[in-house]
Amino acid sequence: MGEHLTFIGSVTAQLVRAVPVTLLILAVSGVCATVLATGLTAMSVARSPLPRLIQRTWTFLFRGTPLILQIFMIYYGFAMVPWIRHGLLWAAFRDPVFCTCLAMTCCCSAYIAEIFRGALAAVPRGEIEAGRACGMTGFLLLRRVIAPSLIRIALPSYSNEIIMMTKSTSLASTITVLDITGVAQQVIAHSYRTLDVFCAAAALYLLINATLSTLLTALERRLDVDRAPTPLAPIPPTLEPLS
Amino acid sequence: MMDDLTLLGFGPDGWAPLLLKGCLLTLAVSATSMAIGTVLGVLLAWARLKGPGWLRRTALVYGVVLRGVPELLVILLLYFGLPSLILSLSETFGWEAPGLPPPFLVGSLSVGLVSAAYQAEIFRGGVGAIPRGQFEAARAMGFSDLLCFHRIVLPQVARVVLPALGNVWQFNLKDSALIAVTGLSELMRTSLVAAGSTRHPFLFFGVAMALYLVLTTLSSTAFHYGGRYSNRWDRG
Amino acid sequence: MTVPPPVLTATNIRKSFGDREVLAGISLEAREGEVISILGGSGSGKSTFLRCLNLLEVPDEGQIAIGDVQAPLTRNRHGRLEVSDGRAAARLRTQTAMVFQGFNLWPHLTVLQNVMEAPLRVHRRDRDEVLATARSLLERVGMAGFHAAYPKRLSGGQQQRVAIARALATNPKLVLFDEPTSALDPERVREVLALMRSLAEEGRTMIVVTHEMAFARDVSSRVVHLMNGRVESSGPPAHMFGPDASPAFRAFLSPAAL
Ligand SMILES: Nc1ncnc2c1ncn2[C@@H]1O[C@H](COP(=O)(O)OP(=O)(O)O)[C@@H](O)[C@H]1O
Ligand SMILES: [Mg+2]
Repeated sequence: MGEHLTFIGSVTAQLVRAVPVTLLILAVSGVCATVLATGLTAMSVARSPLPRLIQRTWTFLFRGTPLILQIFMIYYGFAMVPWIRHGLLWAAFRDPVFCTCLAMTCCCSAYIAEIFRGALAAVPRGEIEAGRACGMTGFLLLRRVIAPSLIRIALPSYSNEIIMMTKSTSLASTITVLDITGVAQQVIAHSYRTLDVFCAAAALYLLINATLSTLLTALERRLDVDRAPTPLAPIPPTLEPLS
Repeated sequence: MMDDLTLLGFGPDGWAPLLLKGCLLTLAVSATSMAIGTVLGVLLAWARLKGPGWLRRTALVYGVVLRGVPELLVILLLYFGLPSLILSLSETFGWEAPGLPPPFLVGSLSVGLVSAAYQAEIFRGGVGAIPRGQFEAARAMGFSDLLCFHRIVLPQVARVVLPALGNVWQFNLKDSALIAVTGLSELMRTSLVAAGSTRHPFLFFGVAMALYLVLTTLSSTAFHYGGRYSNRWDRG
Repeated sequence: MTVPPPVLTATNIRKSFGDREVLAGISLEAREGEVISILGGSGSGKSTFLRCLNLLEVPDEGQIAIGDVQAPLTRNRHGRLEVSDGRAAARLRTQTAMVFQGFNLWPHLTVLQNVMEAPLRVHRRDRDEVLATARSLLERVGMAGFHAAYPKRLSGGQQQRVAIARALATNPKLVLFDEPTSALDPERVREVLALMRSLAEEGRTMIVVTHEMAFARDVSSRVVHLMNGRVESSGPPAHMFGPDASPAFRAFLSPAAL
């Protein structure tokens, strides 16, 4: 029994040391995918058909195929392309962490863009018209009227997608990255204590996800104007003159 | 170019037969795991909605864990864990060791277990979306629970649930690629082997992507029409 | 003249939600052909009482009988009443029907299917016969032209008329109405009330929770005023709307009279 506990302890310590790798992949691809998704969303409402076509193709391609296949394509496929193999980019493409991040950025940006697109369509037309009616246009309208609503609407699905991404980071282990799953597999190969190792790994993932979803739910609460307790601020006795 | 066509053809050096077989196996694994997921998902949803306290909590924990842990980890756990479990069981009971569980079964089971967690949420939400008055109107007319389920719940749940189930199916289809790690030669594994032995990864992964796209597009079209049919009464 | 037999006998019905006693012992008997209007302020327990009558709500105390069949209520080991036999409860409900404030039509079935559902599936009656009855009922409520429509397409008044046809399709001994016109536009109220009036004239036994004073006064054979979970006063409309009515009921009426 005591020996068993020691084993679990040492396994957990080994796994915890792999947590930064998992978090690094998650953070890099999460940020990049969100930025890319914003661009894709903008393309999806563009006037000319070409950007719209690109966005549609991107979504079709990356949502319709397994992420693991995309990772393999990038990691094994690009290694066979001569100008990459012998070019400057090789330093990046030989690195499995980079390849995972690249694949996840492409794949998840497609999902996130769809979330943003849905939220954009759900922003009440009246709000936008009210903005237009008082003379707002372009970026101002986007920043002050559309974006706040859009973010509020998109946040629950976005949180979901982030959780999905956390889980997807485990695919890095299939191309030799020693993230949580990778280390777990390594330990198992040496010890055969399958269940203990996997339970410890599962617990770590659950912990990461619980933390993330708590943070995102808190953010959701902050932004929820319907529920937020609005203090009845007294109207200042003198209003600043409109300039 | 000629080279590529030979590799993808049906000739002695061609991979077409194996790739097509891989496609079928992918479909079979996905369908099996979907079925496992639906059966278990309905049970879990029932447990969450109407089960006694301990069962409700168990179902809740099941959902949280299976939706929060990477699918790959679940597959690996079953693939590595089941044999040792079976081995220790057969030792305790003095059975003859039955050997390794077939990868097909392990694969479908692990994807199915995850699928069940998602499907349970969908079914629960679907039943929750039906206004209470619908049940009351039925009960007030003497419907039994079973009849109420069959005539009132099922048709309406089908409408809410079909698009979401379509999503789960897409995820099943893509998750089935992870089963490649168990050595089952479904589409992903076949393309991996082909890529490795011919040293044409771009070609074979590209073909595999195209085949996955065909599978996902066809099935999403099917779900779209299924959804429209089950939804015919909702178009004002 | 012989007194018609009772269709419903409810004795000393009590019901609390948490600490709040909503029904503090209500007894009511409805004889064949009677139309009983239940009036009372909002929150006085009218709906709860009605829902106890067909066991949508299980009372804490009391007895209910439809005709001479007792509702299957027994005490469990904690001393609370519960439905001891779900099938018997369902059988009892087949003798009654209910019309809801929110219609509660089944949205996935057409108008005709809504009306035919219970007689076909619960009562397992012959299909042709059910179809004929359903068609004539839809004719009767003025909805014959809409038999193939789904409820979503109909106005509130139309939905409620279909719901009434659905309630009548099993030929119940007793029809319970819970504020059937409260969710309707003023013009629609009239068409539904006219229909209910014609049912009353036909001799249907009905218990109607309503805020339509004219209906209560002109159509019902008895008016019951609920207050704080009790029957505050009751009697024939001539009495209840006359000078000798109880002060509490007069007070209840006065805002309506203004
Ligand atoms: N399911 C319930 N749970 C808790 N309280 C309830 C429930 N149903 C009704 N009540 C309470 O019982 C009281 C009477 O409700 P109801 O019978 O609907 O009144 P009425 O129909 O006369 O307006 C109300 O105060 C209501 O809040
Ligand atoms: Mg009420």
